[in-house]
Amino acid sequence: MDPAGQTRRSFVYRRLAEAGAVFGAVADVALAVHYGDPDAELETARRLGLADLSVLPRVGFKGAGAAKWLAAQGVSLPEVNGAAAQPDGALAARLGPDEVLLLGGLDGAAGLVGRLDEAWAEASTVEPRGYPVPRRETHAWFVVTGAQAADMFAKLCAVDLRPQSFANHRIAQTSVARANAIVIRADLAGTLAYHLLVDSATADYYLPVLLDAMSEFTGGLVGHQALQALLQ
Amino acid sequence: MKVMRCPLNGERNISEFTCLGEVSEPPAPDGASDEAWAAHLWNSNNTAGVVREWWCHVPTSYWFIAERNTVTDEILRTYAAAELFAKGNNE
Repeated sequence: MDPAGQTRRSFVYRRLAEAGAVFGAVADVALAVHYGDPDAELETARRLGLADLSVLPRVGFKGAGAAKWLAAQGVSLPEVNGAAAQPDGALAARLGPDEVLLLGGLDGAAGLVGRLDEAWAEASTVEPRGYPVPRRETHAWFVVTGAQAADMFAKLCAVDLRPQSFANHRIAQTSVARANAIVIRADLAGTLAYHLLVDSATADYYLPVLLDAMSEFTGGLVGHQALQALLQ
Repeated sequence: MKVMRCPLNGERNISEFTCLGEVSEPPAPDGASDEAWAAHLWNSNNTAGVVREWWCHVPTSYWFIAERNTVTDEILRTYAAAELFAKGNNE
């Protein structure tokens, strides 16, 4: 599957293609499913892997009343700078008292994110309810996995993200590699993992910077297949 | 590096913050002279001592208040703007 023919492409799909990505359909989008050797990538993902999930569903809501409206939609909300897993595999990341980012599950299904998109279009008894933020368009979505992920972040980020001081489902909104980013720790079935959301305009900067930071740990790109394998 | 405590995000390097100047009371919208408005917009007190300033944590665009000693550059306290502008006070 050629991502160039798709309406929704990753901000860095050309770089991924250059790195040997084999794109395949995941739900209704083209994702880098592997880079030629899925078994080796699973090992890499356990040690230090980087995957690009930019095409997968996500959405945000912010402004006065946003948290109240989401709660009314059945979203379980954590406290500020925390994340809460939702029944369908989505993750609700609370960035402020009235600002929530919802990351869809790795399966790429519309799920909760799709349902909230539809619910937003309908009238609500909760007013004010803030406004929606098109996070799928504004932010690139990377995930850094593996036992050495925190060592890699220590080179790029001043916040202590080591697992012993930064619990699972904690969020750091901070500077990573000198640009603004959201870091959400969300382990994948026991493997340390951090979601990294950055401004889409900086995606093309981040990808080589992250790969460079990972090189000393012999980390590298891993496909969606390796992430799914981690979950099994 | 100097560390500042953001009321929303906790302790962060000072490079993540930007100072937006002193908190000052605007003149009454009806009846204030042009001079009073100009002074409010363009002049700063430049106090030597403890001042109350607007600061912003840039990665989150979170605005808050800091009390800082301009002589020693010591940050005494940071807190949410809601503490200063309780609901109804700023309307």
